[in-house]
Amino acid sequence: MFGRNLLICSFLSCVVLLSGSAVAAGPNVEVVVGPDAPPLETLAAEELAAQFRTLFEAEPSIVQSESNKAVPRVLIGSPETNPAVKEVIGANWPKLSKQGHLIRSLQVNGQPALVVGGGSPVATLWAVYELGQHFGMRYTAHGDQIPAVKPEFKLSGIDKTLEPQHKQRIWRTVNDFPIGPESWGLAEQKQMLRQLAKLKYNRLMISVWPWQPFVDYEFQGTKKQTATLFFGEEFPVSGDIPGRAAFRGAKVFTNPDFAKAKNYEQMTAAGVKLLSGIIDEAHRLGMRVGLSISPLEFPKEFAAVLPDAPEPHGLNKLVIGPGPEQTPQDQQLLELVRTKIRAYIEAYPDIDDIYLTMPEFPAWVAHAEQSWDQLDAKVGLAETLKYQDAIKAARERKTIASGDRGENAVKGNIAAIDFLHNLDPNGRLFVSPKGHEIKGVLTAMDPALYPIADKLIPEYVELLHFVDYTARRVLANKELLAKLPPAAAKRSMIIVTLADDNVGVLPQLATGDIHQLLAETKKLGWAGFSTRYWLVGDLDPTLHYLSRASFDPGVTPKSAYNDLFDGICGPGVSQRTTLAFEAIEKATAIVDKHGLGFTFPVQGMVMKHYDSSPAPDWWKEASDAYTEAMVEMYRGQTRAGKAGRNYILYHAKRHEFAVTYFAALTALRAAAEAQKAGDKEKAYKEMDKAVEALYNATKCLGEVAVSNSDRGLIAVMGHYGFRPLMKEFDRIEAEE
Amino acid sequence: MPSCKRRAKLFTGLLLAAVTCLGSVAAEGFGDDWRQFRGPNCSGISRSEVSLPTKFSFEDKVLWSHEVGDGIASAVIADGRCYCTGLLGDTETEGIFVVYCFDATTGTEHWRREFTTGDLPRITRPNSHASSTPATDGERVYVYFSTLGLMVLDCKTGQDVWKEPIEQPQYLLGWGAASSPVLVNDMVVFAQDDDLNPFIAAWEAKSGSLQWRTERPDMLGGYAAPVLCTANGRTDIVLAGSGKMKGYDPSDGKELWTCNSLLRTVMTTPVVAGDRIFITIQSYGDTDRHLKPALLEWKDTNQDGKLSREEVPRVFWKKFDKGDANKDDLLVDQEIDAAFQSPNNMVGGGNIIQSIRGGGMGDVTKTHLDWNLDSRAPSNLSSPLVVDGRLFLVKKGGLSSCFDAEDGKTLWKLKRIRNLGDYYASPVYGDGKIYVTGENGFVVVLENGSKLKRLAKNDMGESILATPSIADGKLFFRTRNRLIVVGEES
Repeated sequence: MFGRNLLICSFLSCVVLLSGSAVAAGPNVEVVVGPDAPPLETLAAEELAAQFRTLFEAEPSIVQSESNKAVPRVLIGSPETNPAVKEVIGANWPKLSKQGHLIRSLQVNGQPALVVGGGSPVATLWAVYELGQHFGMRYTAHGDQIPAVKPEFKLSGIDKTLEPQHKQRIWRTVNDFPIGPESWGLAEQKQMLRQLAKLKYNRLMISVWPWQPFVDYEFQGTKKQTATLFFGEEFPVSGDIPGRAAFRGAKVFTNPDFAKAKNYEQMTAAGVKLLSGIIDEAHRLGMRVGLSISPLEFPKEFAAVLPDAPEPHGLNKLVIGPGPEQTPQDQQLLELVRTKIRAYIEAYPDIDDIYLTMPEFPAWVAHAEQSWDQLDAKVGLAETLKYQDAIKAARERKTIASGDRGENAVKGNIAAIDFLHNLDPNGRLFVSPKGHEIKGVLTAMDPALYPIADKLIPEYVELLHFVDYTARRVLANKELLAKLPPAAAKRSMIIVTLADDNVGVLPQLATGDIHQLLAETKKLGWAGFSTRYWLVGDLDPTLHYLSRASFDPGVTPKSAYNDLFDGICGPGVSQRTTLAFEAIEKATAIVDKHGLGFTFPVQGMVMKHYDSSPAPDWWKEASDAYTEAMVEMYRGQTRAGKAGRNYILYHAKRHEFAVTYFAALTALRAAAEAQKAGDKEKAYKEMDKAVEALYNATKCLGEVAVSNSDRGLIAVMGHYGFRPLMKEFDRIEAEE
Repeated sequence: MPSCKRRAKLFTGLLLAAVTCLGSVAAEGFGDDWRQFRGPNCSGISRSEVSLPTKFSFEDKVLWSHEVGDGIASAVIADGRCYCTGLLGDTETEGIFVVYCFDATTGTEHWRREFTTGDLPRITRPNSHASSTPATDGERVYVYFSTLGLMVLDCKTGQDVWKEPIEQPQYLLGWGAASSPVLVNDMVVFAQDDDLNPFIAAWEAKSGSLQWRTERPDMLGGYAAPVLCTANGRTDIVLAGSGKMKGYDPSDGKELWTCNSLLRTVMTTPVVAGDRIFITIQSYGDTDRHLKPALLEWKDTNQDGKLSREEVPRVFWKKFDKGDANKDDLLVDQEIDAAFQSPNNMVGGGNIIQSIRGGGMGDVTKTHLDWNLDSRAPSNLSSPLVVDGRLFLVKKGGLSSCFDAEDGKTLWKLKRIRNLGDYYASPVYGDGKIYVTGENGFVVVLENGSKLKRLAKNDMGESILATPSIADGKLFFRTRNRLIVVGEES
């Protein structure tokens, strides 16, 4: 009996021991927020708790005051928002700007503790994300990457205080083309916004266009009737198009939030719901939100109220603008624009900013000189810059808009700015129905007008500058940036192109050029930057660089690349992947320099290369760079741990896409050459090669598609690339 | 010998082989069962006279279909029951491995068994963890999974009969497991050529008692399934591997012969017709490209021309140490060869199609290699089909080729079947038709003949890597996530 009891006791002890072991997975941590913590600090606490669970299998409990338990603690907030912070560090709390944030180790009741806080609630949130980064989390466009090497749970030895190098960090969303976030539904937009918060973006710019389904208005009996995405194009994705696995059986590619919308009303309702959801989520994450519109462009049905509007222009000819008979003082035009702006503000009363963008290819130039005189009379321009000098500067500069295009650009700008001066004489247009003032931002002022920017644009309006398509091109003309007077520079942001639609669908990086450009604008006292891109999946290296460099002047593109991949993949991988990304930068610069529009994602994007002239030398240079990138990525992949391998595979397949795409175009050229020479057999063989290469290129994308813009790219490649190519191949085969 | 007599000899051989093979395959059952990878003797041939559809799709002529989880293993069919595997849940870290039993006619689920996989090893896409095709003799179904070993379940109830833990395969380049068991007499035979401990073994099918295990130390990673060849009065187990085709005695696993004519990486399964064994191989690189260049290209992450211990997976460190002659913790030049590739088998890459006669003894390289073609036709993964004296193959891009099995004469070469993309599934034959399955989910149907003639192109809706199975007038397509069975409606 004694022996049996002993056996039972032993068994029970084992059960107790095992149960105890099973429960105590990771450390217990107290996360202390203030009793009246603002919502963003409550969110910060929740995010920290979630990260600790993921990283350390910790058992965090969120409390409003410290307990007397002997546990490690994290105190969230500032002395103003959290009494616990005030108690432990109040006297030593540094002077922080509203964006400044800190992480500091100390001891509380003999236990290791951290203060994680900032100069404002959103800065406190950033401090939490900074702590995650410290422990190895990496924030990428498609989601968080957990460190390959599990970090040690150690709260001691951290002392970081961060202040922004670039105070305005604006992210653009929606915009146009199926390969960009125009194809994202709200779920995907929200997911990206959460990542942007982790990357410390403080502003969101929702860029929308006249033909899109995001607003409804009527003017003098003419109703808006156009409400379309993707420039009105439809992208069938069924059948044997390459990469169709990415669509999981869908027959047509679409933005999922619009899948059921069948008419104008339904499209517009879906559009308003989408943008409202984006605005709400961005606000929840502490961002300012602005809407970017093109005030002087309208869907073509408004020709009825624009008496001599030129023919519709732009892709698929969806927009019209004012004609030569309408002056910048034209009351009907002014009222039309006011109606449009009011409609946007009423649909989205919570926006903070409105960006008014100048047309890229203005046709409204007839009144430029008259407008100049008007403005001169109003604000005194001539003492700084003469009209003819502005025209001359625009013609002679080396940016993409030079010569006749440059002259038109600056004339269109002058007329538009004159018009805007007349738009809101009573100062009541940019007021939300909710009562707050909506701040204005003028986008794409012509660089020829920079010397007079402070006179032309009131000081309460910010300036967002385009200058040229890519950072490389802007840097080649950086003397233009210095022409902005300091009063204008300090409220200016530069548009940094992370990936250009002219370079197109190929993987792109321009981090090195962006690094130099931002150094330049910072030197000149500019306030920050705004991003320009379409496909987002390739951009993690630049996103990581921007996020780190925005708060640390010592960060370089290479150090950012290494930091990103060391975190995700563990040791020994980043030396390969950094080489890969440097090769992508090289390829991007080559294509940008020589091939503007090379893979612009529109009809004819592939068949335009069906040309019997020899392929230019730069094709091989760029293709070799993409090949180098692909090889290095695959090399890195064999070394990476499990999670890192899938992450790297995404990039490797994108690089493989580029290599195979070039192979397709090279074979297409050879086919055209053979056709011209009358060698039908060779033409057939080369065309066969081109078809297979394009198929394989697109299939690479299908194997790793993550976002809807990835799928949009596959749809574009199928519809604009593969099908027209197959059609020509079938024709040649029939001849054979 | 005049060609007509040679053809007659071949045909007789074929007939003999067919009878012998059927006799060698365990258990009676429905005449056109499909009991293991690629059916009878892994040949891909159904000799049933029941008609098979030419045109079908994931929406047309579907008799039944089920979601079965991620997987690339073929379904197997015996005695009116269909067995299929899949991986549910997280397919990266730890999932649920499922073995299904469906009624082959109605699709009614008779039973399913679920197994927690434990920590899943790394594999290379598009491989799946549920990659091994089961085998069945109608009494038991034999299933392999990398973390679970060989599991044998009762066909009627799905209950455990016996289990054999098998060490997980290890591949230097991280490919992942994909070997399939086959049935020989009253045994289940399983071959696993990995880069660490390659072997072939046989267990008694009923009891699981190990009959023999033969190590294959001069092999590198490969995926050929064992096949049977009857020649010279005996039936050998034939296994293709790195550099060598070998014949083994089924009774004790002893190596009887070797033909050292193959290439470095063998992922295709040979096909037997008569007393001939046909193999098609595409192995990356040229003949000088032994393993070392591949390792230096992909594993040498700092590209210093040396392999450090950190650059080699831990499981290979013993081999690393074996090769590290000067003990400096680096492998350089010949040290790499010494560590990982057998000095008796320093073979490179290339493309070959070969016909090897069975029934030899010892080294038959010079005596039994009937013909060899150095041809761009082969695929690295899709095995050939030999039917009616013709050897048919397909590769990436839908490029098909056909050769006379007797002498390797080209009937057609690298002609497109008008379905682009990758080809992982092997072609199968039934009812006078050849079914060629592309990874893009389209199945091209060709007329069996000496000219390429396309009959149909059918959309199965999603990616397919698994070779289709044929049984009872039905085609069983295991797409990436579903099992779809098509046939003419009765």
